[in-house]
Parts: sequence; structure tokens; C-alpha cells
Amino acid sequence: MKRFSILSLLALMSPLSQAELSVTSQLDYEATGYFADSKASTNDTRLNQSLAFRTELYKELEGDQSITFKPFFRLDENDDERTHFDVRELIWHKVADEYELKAGIGKVFWGVTESQHLVDIINQTDAVESLDGEEKLGQPMVQLLLERDWGNLDLFVMPYHRERTFVGKDGRLGAGQEYADGIYESSDEEKHVDIAARFYTYIDEFEYAVSLFHGTSREASLGLDVSNQFNPKILPYYAQITQLGLEMQYLNEGWAWKFEGVLRDGMPSSDMSTPAGQFPVFFNGSALALADDDQYFASTAGFEYTQVGILDTRIDLGWVVEHLFDSRQEDASAAAFEHDVLLATRWAANDAASSTLLAGVLVDYEYGDYSLSVEGDTRVLNNMTLSVEARVFAPQEDNPLWGFRNEDFIKLTLSYYL
Amino acid sequence: MIKTILVAAVFALGSVTTLAQTSQEKGLAIAVEADKRGEGFGDSQVELKMVLVDSKGTESPRDMRVKSLEGLGEEGDKSLMIFDTPIDQKGVAMLTYTHKEKSDDQWLYLPALKRVKKISSKNKSGPFVGSEFAFEDISSQEVEKYTYNYLRDETFDGKDCFVVERFPTDKYSGYTKQVAWIDKAEYRALKIDFYDRKKSLLKTLENKDYKLYLDKFWRPALSVMQNHQTGKGTRLEYKGYEFKVGLNDKEFTKNSLKRAK
Repeated sequence: MKRFSILSLLALMSPLSQAELSVTSQLDYEATGYFADSKASTNDTRLNQSLAFRTELYKELEGDQSITFKPFFRLDENDDERTHFDVRELIWHKVADEYELKAGIGKVFWGVTESQHLVDIINQTDAVESLDGEEKLGQPMVQLLLERDWGNLDLFVMPYHRERTFVGKDGRLGAGQEYADGIYESSDEEKHVDIAARFYTYIDEFEYAVSLFHGTSREASLGLDVSNQFNPKILPYYAQITQLGLEMQYLNEGWAWKFEGVLRDGMPSSDMSTPAGQFPVFFNGSALALADDDQYFASTAGFEYTQVGILDTRIDLGWVVEHLFDSRQEDASAAAFEHDVLLATRWAANDAASSTLLAGVLVDYEYGDYSLSVEGDTRVLNNMTLSVEARVFAPQEDNPLWGFRNEDFIKLTLSYYL
Repeated sequence: MIKTILVAAVFALGSVTTLAQTSQEKGLAIAVEADKRGEGFGDSQVELKMVLVDSKGTESPRDMRVKSLEGLGEEGDKSLMIFDTPIDQKGVAMLTYTHKEKSDDQWLYLPALKRVKKISSKNKSGPFVGSEFAFEDISSQEVEKYTYNYLRDETFDGKDCFVVERFPTDKYSGYTKQVAWIDKAEYRALKIDFYDRKKSLLKTLENKDYKLYLDKFWRPALSVMQNHQTGKGTRLEYKGYEFKVGLNDKEFTKNSLKRAK
């Protein structure tokens, strides 16, 4: 069925139709160098190469309609889980006088902060792609957009849940873990129909958004599936949750004040002891009832201060400070930041190559963990860009991220556009 | 008889006001007249090639399309700029609401992240996409954004011109003043010198090959900005100007940024 619909949409986009078909493609070559041998992963290679291909086909149809198709494919040298295909978008879009309507597989971003994207919940994270959680899987949806004098209202119906991707046992950042297929709280499993709404508007320099989501959590609660004792796997569990989200941003002079907060109901609390590098033990199926639903609050709050043209150069320098909080504190899931601070600096060279650099440190001020990251981009040819990402992890022994202690890396990505 | 006296009085009054007009008033009057002559374009769209030229003469081109909507009454113009190249920037779009009294509102759409970012008004002095044009140079030039001072008459490029100084009212402007050569026949800015915060000559803009559209609106086919301090320059080549194509407010909203193609 799905295949059929893709084919029929492709037929719509065929050259027989009158409007022009626009095609843009991008081929990435990625090389990641690790500074040390892995302690946890079965794969101790220090160099990992990968290729990714993405393309965008866009076609305007009569009557203010359009179709966008964005397939994505990655081939990874070592990690079979990272070798994957995804339809990032395959969406029909209609613009009418009083509304916009989209149907198909789409992508939506919500949020204002840098260090994490708490409010952003429509799309599942394609976690094998990057550590920052900014790569997303395509989400089947119908979206209605209403733009009025009083603001914007987006309404979503999402009939299908995508499971989060995880680095495989042969991936260096996977700590040698294997993942079982996910299980669901809802008896409809992945076919539970999720709904969401977001209202957003602005008053002069103040922008805000309020959102509500009800349905299957995108974040997986991770347990251990010990049904096969000789090959225990991590078991992702997707609870039914309700999330109320708030985003605010106020620009004043060079300051951008930012806030994102979520109130989540329905996530299981993982209050079992978590030995270093391990996960709470859930038994497959029934014993998941162990995990109580709990309401919690998480937020990211801070600012970015930008100096335009520092020291009479063309360079813009920005300072980013954000505080990350999670009311569950030590009971928070491994992926959460309970009491952390991001200190970062952003450089924009404003040169012909559009070079930028973002360097930061994320410190857990209670546990004393920190991680450093540097991300840079520049254009090397008219149709080629080079990006660099480097990370250094310094977790404490009792931290779930202990498994990352030997995974410091530098990654170069050469992107060729055609 | 009475009529003759009245006429004479009016003439006398007229010449008195002319004499009494200060150089500031004359500068403002020229700016107001130039603005008036540009009124009524409704909406327009144009293809723009921006070519960055470094001090060695190496060129980096980028292509974009610009849609504009004239503001009515107290509102300033709205504009939407969509990038086609460099190809890694394809689909990046910038929406600007110019305001007469307060700072402009500006949003940038990054298609890879599906993210709309508000740009701080403090950023107006910064370079626009690595070019020699600052954000404030490419936004709509509302009369209220400057105070004026008429300097002298001068011939430039064979045309009789007013030479007028203008001083930005916005404290975030990167300029202390601009000096503009405006031709007396059509009130078009043929050349503008930009002075930086240290009051030294920073850049010169020349608008060339003016063409007349709809019998009323003059637009340059070529604008060249030369930076005197770095030797770098930027060329803007305009192609395919269209006026009154029926654009409306709906096409200049934050939502429309996301669907700009």
C-alpha cells in the first residue's frame, strides 16, 4: 500500500505533467576518527567512513498545490543499524485563502533553544545520524495550518509511530549494545493515532508558542530485555504521554532571551538503581507495569548575546548560555539533562564561504561531568561544503554516559551538491 | 487688480519660503519627493544575481529572487528574498517588514532544520550573506530612517544632481552618514558614499542602467558596491522585473517563509 502510494505520487511528478520538476541532491562523504580504542563497543576501529545520499524533488501542481519528495539513504562502513533508508518527506501541500493543508510524510520543527530540543516532538529522532538529535525521521501526518490576525494555529493528526533509531552494536557510539524491537503501552502499538496542536504568535520582539501533544512518546524508555539470557538486548518502551509545551523568545538589543519548557505526563519513571553504563531492568512485557507513570517538568532557559562585527572585523561573535533542568533529577532517563549548563560561543565569519563555528561545553554541575563540542562549516567550492564536528566526553563513573568515555572523536563531512 | 496683487503676494511668499528653507528642509524635501515618485508600485518581483568580488578579483556568485509588497499608510514595505544558489543555501529565505519609526522585523528560514529564526535588529550593520552590502543597505529606504542635509548641486555621470547628506536615526546603523547623488530629473539615487562609525569613507554604491517600468518606476539593472577599505566589492544584477503581479499579505508571513520555493 505504502509502495503503491509512493509510485502514484512519483507518477504525478513525472515529466509528463506541465509544471517544472525541481531536483536537488546531496552526496555526503563522512570520515570519523576516534582518539582511542573502544572499551565498550565490539568494534574498535578508529576510523569509520560513511556515505549518505539525499535528494529533494519538488513539483508545483495546479491550484496552489505542490508535492515534495525527500528520500534519504546512508551507508555506514561498520554499523548495520546506521546503514538505513528513510523517506524524510513525501508530502502534498495545498495553500488556500483561509488555510493550508498538508498530508503525507512530513517534518516539523518546534523550539528556540540550542542545547536540546525539548518541545520538538512531532518527528522521531534519527539517533543513528547524529548526537545532537537534530536529524529526524519522516512522520506520517495530516497538518492543518490556520493563519489569522490573532496568531497561527497548527493542528496535527499522526496515524503512525516511528521507532527511534539506535546505534548498533558495531557502531562506536553504541557501547556494544543491541536493541530489541520496541514495545508499546497502547494496544494499538505503532498505529495509535496521535494528535497535536500548536499556537504561535509574536508581539514586537516577543515570540511565543504553546503546544499540546497526546499520543505515543517519541523518547523511548529503555529497559533490559532478558527474555534471552544469553543475548540480553535493550528494550525500548514507548509510553502514551501528554505533553504541554511552552516556547518563548525575547529579542532586546543584542540579547536573545530563550525559554523552552515541557510538562509531561505518562512517562515511566526509572527509579531503579542504575549501575554504571547499565540500564534499569524491565522484563519483557508484563513487568513493565513496574514503571510508574509520573508527571515531570523539564526546561531549557538562557540567552544568546551577539556582538556584530567584533574589533572592526566582519566577524559576528555570539555567546550562548543555557540552563537545563529536569524535575525528576536523579530519576531522570539517561537521555535527560537534569542539572546542566551549556556555555558556548558562536562565530560567523561573514565571508564568501559562509564559514561558521560553534564551540561549547556542557557541564553537569552536580555530577561534575562535562562534554566539549565543536561544530564548523565552510564552503570549499561553489557546490561543495566541508563540515567538522568534534566531541570530547568526560563522564563520571556513576553516569549513564560512562560508556562514552573512550569515544572522543572528530568527524569530517564533505558534501557535494548536484 | 486685486488678483494681480494676490498673485504677486503669493509669488513673494513663495520666494520667501524658498529663501527661508534651511539646507535640512531642502534635504528632507528631496527625500520626500524621491519617495513620492516611487509610490504606487503595489508589488514587484525580480531575479537577482549577487556577485561577491574579493580584492584579487575572484568572483562568488549567488542567485536569489526578491518579492516586494508596498506598505500602505503608516506601514513600511515587506520583502521576501529566496536563495537559489549557492546550492547548499537553496531554499533559505528572508522575510523583512520595514517600519518607518521602529526597527525592522526580520526572519530567516533555514530549510534543513525547518527553523525560522528572528534576526536581531542590532544585526542591521552586519554583512548580508558575506557581501559588501549590509542588511540595512538592502532593506527598503523609508524617509523616516534618516535626517537630511542638502549640500550642493553637482553634475554626476552627465546628470544634474542634488548632493544630499543623510544621517541614520537608528542607533544600530553601521554608518555615521551617507552622501547621495540624486538626479534632478527623476530623483534617482545614482551614487551613495557610506561613512563608517569612525566617520571615514567606507563604501561607495553606484546604481547604473536605470530602466523605466510602467512609465513611472525607475529601477537600476546594476548596482555596484565598492569597499574602499578592503578592496572587495559586490555587484547586484537585476533581471526580469515585474510589477503588479498580484502578490498579497499572505505571501509575506512567517508561514509563507516555510513554503517559499
